[in-house]
Amino acid sequence: MRFLRTLGFAALVLLLVLAVAAALVIAVRADPGKAASGFLRGAFGSFYSISEVLVRATPLILAGLGVSIGFRTGFFNIGAEGQIYLGATAATAVGLLFPGLPALVLLPLALLCGFAGGGLWSAVPGFLKSRFGLSEVITTIMFNYIAINVVGILVRSVMKDPSYPLPMSPDLPEAMHLPVILEPTRLHLGLVIALVAALAVWFLMSRTAAGFRMRAVGLNPRGSLVAGISVPANLLLASALSGGLAGLAGASEITGIHHRLLEGISPGFGYVAIIAALLGRNHPGGIVIASLGIAALQVGSSSMQRASGVPSSISWIIMGVLVLLILARRPDRDRVAR
Amino acid sequence: MSDTQGFAALLGELSTFAAASVRMAAPLLIAGLGEAISETAGILNIGLEGIMLSGAFAAFIVAWATQNVWLGIMAGIAGGMLASLLHALLGVGRRADQTITGLALNFLASGLTSYFFLMAFGRTTSLPECPVLPAVEIPLLSSIPFFGPVLFSQNPFVYFAFVATGLVWLLFRRSEWGVILHAAGENPHAADSAGLDVIRTRYVAAAANGCFGGLAGASITLGTLGFFMENVTSGKGYIALVVVILGRRQPFGVALAALLLGAADALQFRMQTGNSGIPSQVFIMFPYLMTVIVLLFSIGKTRDPASLGIPFDRGRR
Repeated sequence: MRFLRTLGFAALVLLLVLAVAAALVIAVRADPGKAASGFLRGAFGSFYSISEVLVRATPLILAGLGVSIGFRTGFFNIGAEGQIYLGATAATAVGLLFPGLPALVLLPLALLCGFAGGGLWSAVPGFLKSRFGLSEVITTIMFNYIAINVVGILVRSVMKDPSYPLPMSPDLPEAMHLPVILEPTRLHLGLVIALVAALAVWFLMSRTAAGFRMRAVGLNPRGSLVAGISVPANLLLASALSGGLAGLAGASEITGIHHRLLEGISPGFGYVAIIAALLGRNHPGGIVIASLGIAALQVGSSSMQRASGVPSSISWIIMGVLVLLILARRPDRDRVAR
Repeated sequence: MSDTQGFAALLGELSTFAAASVRMAAPLLIAGLGEAISETAGILNIGLEGIMLSGAFAAFIVAWATQNVWLGIMAGIAGGMLASLLHALLGVGRRADQTITGLALNFLASGLTSYFFLMAFGRTTSLPECPVLPAVEIPLLSSIPFFGPVLFSQNPFVYFAFVATGLVWLLFRRSEWGVILHAAGENPHAADSAGLDVIRTRYVAAAANGCFGGLAGASITLGTLGFFMENVTSGKGYIALVVVILGRRQPFGVALAALLLGAADALQFRMQTGNSGIPSQVFIMFPYLMTVIVLLFSIGKTRDPASLGIPFDRGRR
């Protein structure tokens, strides 16, 4: 019965979202048929378009997993965007500092430093929350703006490619490129890393004592305190892991796609990752599925924009409506999920 | 002789800077007052950025279409209220998590405004312009040295921000409404037992927040810029949230905090135009950095309303 109701709700949400999308397409006086075919072709139409969806889902899965660890521990990490930028910067720095290292050393080192970069950047708001009770929602958002501008400064100064007029870093050594796993597409090893990370996060949160402590802190800080679980320590740990996974997403974008640091490396992946975590109900498997769905929505919207002129920001509207509809249904459960 | 000239020049510089600070503070103050009302009643609305963005867009599009600033302002208020009431519908009515709802509202507002902006104007290179509310020099007062240009030669949004600060103080401290608001935020169950309608109070507070937030958004497009672009509020809604924390939800505290962060913004603009060869990002980053630093000073000094962010459920204690 409950299952049927959930199914019915899902159908209703789908119908409403489709209606909103149709209304928006008609509002810009685009041809609905052209728009729909543009969307479907872009997201699922070919081998290449499916690979592009997977490429786009990779950073969303990683950062979404990070956000979910924060959520479950009670650390509301809105800062994945900035943490992606910092992780990308750290990975780039490794490549610029040690270009001579063999791939087997350089690549893991870059990914590790990406994780550390994002983790440290996130641990600052984590520390401010656990030690002083400063709201992480606000500090992490401010840290996003700061991180993006820090990257802007770096690619114009110490990390700039002197032989190029544009603000970007030099090309990173070949040894630092994540291998492509499906020639001739852009699909790289990052997807495998993301899936392994999903397994690891599931194991950590559901099968280890450390994960249990973090979840306990998220569910009931006062009860945890009484049970001898340190709330500040677990908040700090969760914030670092959370940012670390986002940093890994940044490092994976650098080593897998861009091969250099530039300003627009993340078109809002960090914010979309929050939606992925919400829609995936903070469960690693759910996040993988939600990330794939969102990636398809975004890639499809871009293709729809090219095909019929419907602005691709339609994907943000749909994501917003989706989250609001789900919030309207099951309020109490979401509160507990924090 | 040259000393006095130098002094006069310095004073002129200072008053220009102070005037810019006050102008930059106005949106933060107006939005901060609304959020203070909302938070006092127990609703934490992270969606302030979305409210301001909706207001900024609605104000711009109507002012552009009708070439009438006042109609634009009305539309801005309506846009902000619509966004805020959507938040209340879920966060108060459906008892959804207020932070997540606010976040979703921001995504939705960002998507909708950018969508309709592109729909109306396409990807034009020249920004479509709308009329701007001109600065009004208040007779006599505006001729006071230094304070005249800083405080009394501003656009009407700034004057509204001043007046509203006093009015909200009266509301909080000298009216029955203020008591009801505080009761709904501190102990809604007690308020409920005393016969107050907590849900209605929170809806009204949300409407007030939308009204102020929409106006704050309108003050960006119709008060200073004269145009709209995607995400034109650029985090001002979030900074306004900090202003509220820093000002301890007290109108005059909010005003001081808004002035401080407005000054950071003004300084940023001033240094950016300095043409020093330093990447402009150094300056753009400054207000956000300032916000974090300033937050550190609020540590231990604020006390949230006891039921802030907790939906009111009559049947559950």
